[in-house]
Amino acid sequence: MRTQPVWQIVARREIAVRVTDKSTIIGTVIMLAVIVGALGFAAWSESREKTYEVAYSSTTSQAMVEGIAERSTEIDEKVHIEPVAVDDADAAEHALEEEQIDAYLHPDADGWTLLTLAEADSELRGVVEQAVEAIVLTGNAEAAGTSAAELTKGSAVALDQIEGDSELTAIRWVVGYALAIVFYFASIMFGMTLANSVVEEKQSRIVEMIAAAVPLRQLLAGKIIGNAVIAVGQMLIYVAVGLVGLSLTDFSFALPALSGAIGWFVIFFLVGFVVLSTLWAVAGALASRTEDLQSSSTPITMLLMVMFFGALYLDGVGEVIGSYIPPLSAVLMPMRLVDGTAAWWEPIIALVLLLAFGVALVRLAERLYSRALLQTGGQLSLKAAWRLEE
Amino acid sequence: MLEVSGLTRRFGDMVAVDDVSFPVPSGGLTGFVGGNGAGKTTTMRMIMGVLAAHAGTVSWQGHAVTRADRRRFGYMPEERGLYPKQPILDQLVYLARLRGMSAADARREITVLLERFGLGGRTKDPLEKLSLGNQQRVQIIAALVPAPAALVLDEPFSGLDPDAIDAMADLLREHARDGVPVVFSSHQLDLVDRLCDRLVVMARGRVVAQGTGEELRADASLRYRLVLGGDAGWVRDVPGLHVRDVSGPEAEVEVLAEGAEQKLLAEATSRGSVLDFHRVVPRLSEIYREVTA
Repeated sequence: MRTQPVWQIVARREIAVRVTDKSTIIGTVIMLAVIVGALGFAAWSESREKTYEVAYSSTTSQAMVEGIAERSTEIDEKVHIEPVAVDDADAAEHALEEEQIDAYLHPDADGWTLLTLAEADSELRGVVEQAVEAIVLTGNAEAAGTSAAELTKGSAVALDQIEGDSELTAIRWVVGYALAIVFYFASIMFGMTLANSVVEEKQSRIVEMIAAAVPLRQLLAGKIIGNAVIAVGQMLIYVAVGLVGLSLTDFSFALPALSGAIGWFVIFFLVGFVVLSTLWAVAGALASRTEDLQSSSTPITMLLMVMFFGALYLDGVGEVIGSYIPPLSAVLMPMRLVDGTAAWWEPIIALVLLLAFGVALVRLAERLYSRALLQTGGQLSLKAAWRLEE
Repeated sequence: MLEVSGLTRRFGDMVAVDDVSFPVPSGGLTGFVGGNGAGKTTTMRMIMGVLAAHAGTVSWQGHAVTRADRRRFGYMPEERGLYPKQPILDQLVYLARLRGMSAADARREITVLLERFGLGGRTKDPLEKLSLGNQQRVQIIAALVPAPAALVLDEPFSGLDPDAIDAMADLLREHARDGVPVVFSSHQLDLVDRLCDRLVVMARGRVVAQGTGEELRADASLRYRLVLGGDAGWVRDVPGLHVRDVSGPEAEVEVLAEGAEQKLLAEATSRGSVLDFHRVVPRLSEIYREVTA
């Protein structure tokens, strides 16, 4: 009879235990709600049309407000102005306080004043300022015997830039940091869970029965792979929901430029995640009880902090160098790819380096893991674990 | 047959197990006794390959034991525990699969055993919901599935109530009868005496005595107990004897020179009435104290 490889049995148990675990399910649902909510909010505030009720109390200001209302959609298609008549300034103030109107426009010595309850919305201000300027300019031009078009002729400044699209650059920046944050939190979250499940086996002593039946290398491999499957599965769900969501917003134009980079992100995430997982497993093996985990995992949380802040603050040459150094490369290279500053061959080299580093680390971790696993008398130092005999 | 020869293990400067050799014959129970720190657990861990030996070998059916052989050994470690939050059937199936069994076979055999131990209705309960005695039963099942080629059990009786001890004893006998070599350690000497075909006594990392109960008793000193009509104080003056105890008309003596007990009896009858004179068969606990002293 051909039996299933041990690591597969272990990985299957890890997955089965995790997907039926309430906290995993709740965590995933909450995370999805946050993603959908954030994208939904962005889409909603992008497309929202706003109507402002602007009051006037004289025929001069009535003409002005109606003029603004006429031009408002030309200036900002999502802003509508509705003129409202009030008796005088006092009545307008009262209506503002009662929130019956949004603003009161009246002439003063230097021009016009827009009175609002609190600071005026930027959309309203923009529309009113531009419309008033245009109307007054037209009036003044006619009084001077010319036209507004004559006066402003030759004053147009067209914007052009050599380096790509500024809006796309901003999106690249946001997506890059979002990926770094996702990597950081996923590593911490799943890493802690892995370390916990290692120490659980140690604390409950079941590991001695497992060690008698199967090679510990297979146990380690199974746990890491099972954990990675869960993590990557969850990431894929998030990324898929995020991308679908993004495609429904006005940012969808950025997708074609980003999808390749996001593909690379998933690959780097997977490799970087597995490399870090071995460290988390060692952290778990060094502890004897769950309580020890906090201190035995300090070195790896420090490393993750360095990776995270490296991703946030490195740029220029530092970023290029960092994007090759494992395990920093797991975050920095995908960020450079999103930025569009990496050539096609760069991620391949970084990935090979990361894999080589990973293989070396796994060998080291295996020794520490298998030696520390049967030591149940308190927390071990790395040095002590390395010196242990089998 | 499982056989241990010359097993040695040091921890730093301390020799925990020193040149330990003994057989675990098929079809019988071998009891492994010794005080705390005598080296029993370390020896069992080396038999199971959980701990590496510094010297010596473990052989199975005449060849050096392999990982594949060990995978078929049922093992109950001294420090036990299973997954506290996983349902008992699931985790037993998992452990059986790690030892090479198919999920369906494991499920079937484990269900039978759970029913036998009165846990048939609790297969979906997480381990932590069970009483300690029931947790111990689950642990035993973990060692018994798949059908073990040998059983290595470290303190299988500790923490069991009298009924469970009987059930456990039956189970071990059953496996021994089926030809499985069984070795288990215990502090309960009388239980070991009652159950085991062979005994291995360890002290300070070494085997200080081993053999069947009869052999151990034969090796133990020859003792007689004497009850007289009058005072037994004079017994102290009889040559060739070591007096272990005298109180009023009763005395217990150990024979140092062959035939001295006959002279003692002749002297006693010449002095008055002899109410009782018999050979004392030492209890295992007495032998144990003797050999480990």
